[in-house]
Amino acid sequence: MIITKKAISRRTVLKGLGATLALPFLDAMMPASTAIARSAAKAPTRFGAIYVPNGVIPGKWFPTAEGTDFEYSPSLQPLLPFRDRILILSGLDSVPPPPPGERQYNNHADASTRFLTDTTPSHILRAGVSVDQVLAKKWGAETSLPSLELALESVDSGTSCDFGRSCVYTGTISWGGPTAPLPMEQSPSAAFERLFGENTDPAARRARMQQKGSILDSLLQEVGKLQQKVGPADRTKITGYLESVRDVEQRIQKAVEHNAEVPLVNRPAGIPETFEEQAKLMFDIQLLAYQGDVTRVVTYMIGREFSGRTYPEIGVPDAHHPISHHQRDPVRMEKLSKINHYHVSLFSWFVDKMKNTPDGDGSLLDHSAIIYGAGMSEGNGHVPLNLPILLVGGGSGELKGGRHIKAAPGTPLANFHMSLMSKLGVPVESHGNSTGLFNID
Amino acid sequence: MRRVVPVLLLIICSATFFGQSSKPAPQREFVDKYCIACHNDRTRTAGVTLASPELDKIGDNAELWEKVLHKVRTGQMPPLNMPRPDDATRKTTVSSLETALDRAAAANPKPGRVSAHRLNRTEYANAIRDLLTLEIDAKALLLPDEADEGFDNVAASLALSPSHLERYLSAAREISRRAIGDKTLGMVPTAILYSVPKLLEQDIRTSEELSFGSRGGLAVRHNFPLDGEYAFKVRLRRQVYDYIIGMGSPQKLDVRIDGKLVKRFTVGGEAKGIRGPLTWNGEIVGDTDYELYMHAADAGLEVRVPVSAGIRKVTVAFVDTPWEPEGLQQPRQVDFGRGSDEQYEGYAAVDTVAIRGPFQPGGPGDTASRRIIFSCKPNGSAAEEPCARKILTTLARRAYRRPATEDEIQTLLGFYRTGSKESGFESGIQSALERMLVSFNFLFRIENPAATASGTARLNDFDLASRLSFFLWSSIPDDELLTLAGRGRLKDPIVLDQQVKRMLRDSRSNALVDSFANQWLTTRKLQTWLPDQILFPDWDENLRDAFVRETELFMEDQLHEDHSVIDLINANYSFINERLAKHYGMSNVYGERFRRVTFTDGARGGILGQGGVLMVTSYPDRTAPVVRGFWVLENLLGMPPPPPPPNVPDLALVNADGRKRTLREQMELHRANPACATCHVRMDPLGFALENFDAIGRWRKESDGVPVDASAVFADGTPIDGVQGLKKFVIGHRDDYVTTFTSRLLTYALGRSVDYSDNPAIRKIIREAAANDYRWSSIISGIVKSTPFQYISGEMPGRQGTTNKDKN
Repeated sequence: MIITKKAISRRTVLKGLGATLALPFLDAMMPASTAIARSAAKAPTRFGAIYVPNGVIPGKWFPTAEGTDFEYSPSLQPLLPFRDRILILSGLDSVPPPPPGERQYNNHADASTRFLTDTTPSHILRAGVSVDQVLAKKWGAETSLPSLELALESVDSGTSCDFGRSCVYTGTISWGGPTAPLPMEQSPSAAFERLFGENTDPAARRARMQQKGSILDSLLQEVGKLQQKVGPADRTKITGYLESVRDVEQRIQKAVEHNAEVPLVNRPAGIPETFEEQAKLMFDIQLLAYQGDVTRVVTYMIGREFSGRTYPEIGVPDAHHPISHHQRDPVRMEKLSKINHYHVSLFSWFVDKMKNTPDGDGSLLDHSAIIYGAGMSEGNGHVPLNLPILLVGGGSGELKGGRHIKAAPGTPLANFHMSLMSKLGVPVESHGNSTGLFNID
Repeated sequence: MRRVVPVLLLIICSATFFGQSSKPAPQREFVDKYCIACHNDRTRTAGVTLASPELDKIGDNAELWEKVLHKVRTGQMPPLNMPRPDDATRKTTVSSLETALDRAAAANPKPGRVSAHRLNRTEYANAIRDLLTLEIDAKALLLPDEADEGFDNVAASLALSPSHLERYLSAAREISRRAIGDKTLGMVPTAILYSVPKLLEQDIRTSEELSFGSRGGLAVRHNFPLDGEYAFKVRLRRQVYDYIIGMGSPQKLDVRIDGKLVKRFTVGGEAKGIRGPLTWNGEIVGDTDYELYMHAADAGLEVRVPVSAGIRKVTVAFVDTPWEPEGLQQPRQVDFGRGSDEQYEGYAAVDTVAIRGPFQPGGPGDTASRRIIFSCKPNGSAAEEPCARKILTTLARRAYRRPATEDEIQTLLGFYRTGSKESGFESGIQSALERMLVSFNFLFRIENPAATASGTARLNDFDLASRLSFFLWSSIPDDELLTLAGRGRLKDPIVLDQQVKRMLRDSRSNALVDSFANQWLTTRKLQTWLPDQILFPDWDENLRDAFVRETELFMEDQLHEDHSVIDLINANYSFINERLAKHYGMSNVYGERFRRVTFTDGARGGILGQGGVLMVTSYPDRTAPVVRGFWVLENLLGMPPPPPPPNVPDLALVNADGRKRTLREQMELHRANPACATCHVRMDPLGFALENFDAIGRWRKESDGVPVDASAVFADGTPIDGVQGLKKFVIGHRDDYVTTFTSRLLTYALGRSVDYSDNPAIRKIIREAAANDYRWSSIISGIVKSTPFQYISGEMPGRQGTTNKDKN
């Protein structure tokens, strides 16, 4: 498939380089790609998790009524246009017991770590596997990257970010296993590079694929000759290599099939100046990853726990973390809720794009399940109960939005994790602190 | 599986040698007296029986007898509670068994073989360095390797998954484009981010790579792909709430390229408005102006300058202007306090440096890579293909470690033609180079493919050259080796000896330290080790670096000064800088430079006194005598105990009265339980001897408020007192230690597991090295001369993929 109706010429894109980064960079190019429907028979389901740090103002976050007939709360207003695609969850708790012999803190390190693992981090670097990585293990073979982890703020493993616990905990939400925290990519340039190389130009990508294809062809011949020369044991080993070569050929074939579905974009040259541009650039990369089916699993931390980012652009020149310890000061609470609202509005910008990106027989939003939320409800007291969690997207027909569901008191967050994974076709026997399933039908 | 082998052998032997009889073999009397009570056909303790006289055909039962020999030689058998031979009897039996086994091996050598061997990440990076004069970040380009038998160069574990291949494909493209300086590299500017670990103290000069009079910061070797403009953006270190630290006073920050100053910034001291209370920033805020400054004071630390292509050293560091008199020690904040203090009046520090570019890219410049690749320059299109052939033939000979066949050159030329047709001569070369770098001839070492069908064969000279270079350099052979191999001269023992000496003099042989020693001693773990920060607030990245450097410098010195390998234990010197001196409680060592110091306490010096070794054999929060004891048994004495039995109950941390048990009390529980005791009576004492070193390798006299008792008694009754005693103990087991060292080095040299059939070769190496005081060179040259190194077996079923996990 080839984009024939170019909304923007390649030259224009290249000219814009270096001086400034044109952002949001997909907008101008969207029309060309939206005109084309996906050819794939059945679109795959995508998973995402967006994390915001330092908790929220619960009073402004949660709607009061349950069910389908409720009024949208102030913090969630920006998402109102997508109401039928959004499931608002309340009452989920994350208080998994600490490892034997350790104390329960319920602090910042716990918040981010528990978000997708529902496991309490240990004094030594140890937690549990996260939802995204359970899915990535299952879906990863289908795509060129099993998962992508993005963040706007740096993660440093070298020091303590919370009483005796490593900064790794506050800087990631993705865990490949109990002792395998995954670093989150902070550089949009590097993230893009992993997905597409220098640009998404179909012609250039096709040329690269062709080059790869001819190298692989030639390798097949080389290995074939080699097989004639070696003894039986090495021959077995080399047959294994042949399979690898063929496997890569098939992946390239798949990539070629998907090739034209991504709009023409160059690798960003750095990190943009403003927070909003940074946040949207990462969302764009997430979208591109889904769109090109380079990966189906993306996690994204808009801020790390303890983030002290200032938001002068929305009238909050104060640092986020001290504001989150508002001590019931109405001025501070108002400022924190402004930050919450701002983050949600950025997210809604992304949801809008997902909705307007055709994918198979519907939109990307139809085929996604995106968790948005925090690891604390009330940041002021680091409260790990009644967590603010949204589930956005149609989940390929498995998820029903338009509702606010209140969990029974004491429902572990992991029960929601279990149900979601089961809906997405990857049921597990247990996860983190789970005690069973949490009905989200 | 392996346990039944002796039984199978027994059956075979009985069938084959039935009816033969002669006078009893010399070891038979010993076996009947000391072994047969347990190892008979009826009881078969540990699956072993030594009853049948047919077993006395030693050469046919070498695997079994090597096992017996090992157990008897190391004193592990007979068990302590059974009648044991006197020393003289033991030695006679050991010696006669060795002689018999060695004779049998000499008559019927089994050199083993190494299956197809993928270059590991280190070897790949070194090969690119030596082939193209190009430094690459292999960790970013390639997947990590699995280690097997303790080494990541063991062929059996070096698989080729589709993901590996994908990475090789993209790495080949990236490397070939960078090597020739492909113009399209400038099409889209790249951003590379370098970061300084948070726990690196930046109040001193942090590296010998940085200018004198500098403070903190970082030095990186950056590859500038093309001539052009590049932007350098510095971000300063923040505390946990994102307040930039050390902003109370103006400080000068230099950006240098290859030592030359390109920009001097001044940052700090300009906060306006009322400050937040010191150390409470992040909880209680100040005026808006102050807040904004504290979060964004480093916004303008960016400079854009023209740089010519090539690998250059970029340094970003402060000018050292002390804000307080030198030598005044501020108490160091720990854990969360350290993370949350903005240190307003202290020093600013560098967090990251981003290098972006090229902007307005120019040409590829005159880089070392281009000089080595473009050995000819075509004038006129008719000259292009002959020149390409010359270039590719030269490169392929080095990359494939032998002259490329015409067929292989044609493959490369095919890629050259396609590439040059599209975008010119240099693109053609890039395309062919890309193909070359994914060739299995480059990525794999497949030995002597023509002669592997059966029997034992001498390696051809080119394969021998590769074995040598991968053993001593972790890289491809150089021209001299290839030339000698091409003339068939390398196998000549005199030439070979000269080459080994030459290679050891070459700095590339430091790969032996980096890859062999650091894996043997498990000090590679230092790179990621993180001790408990509440208990060890003094631990910082500077100390990590110093640990790494101490072990490296010590091993390099031992290797290049050609010490006896016994000195690894026995040496009374090491290499330290100020940071390490402070850690070791020594005075009068100043500055970042490492220098040789001699110790008189008998504790430091030698690997058993090195902080890094002592740290990675501990837990993050306490010492672990069991881990240290196991480490000594496995890596120095070659008698690792088996894994613990299943269902071991946790050791109770507290006594019945609620008092926390001391470590020694906990350990004593081990010995109370017979199932634990058999192994722990050997592990624990060796570990306790090191108890004067805490979990980050500091000397201590007490622990948990109780004086440290570093005395212990080994299983056989030998008293061991402290680290000095442990050193004596290890040296007292000289044969075990030298055997273990040689066996580990042989494993590394061959890139395969070493098993019983290699033992005769190991004994030969050691016998010959003994005359030379077990110097490094004598063991290395013994390995190079050995049968397993110079010969390969034909493929025999059962010899593939064996491990030596239970050889003892």
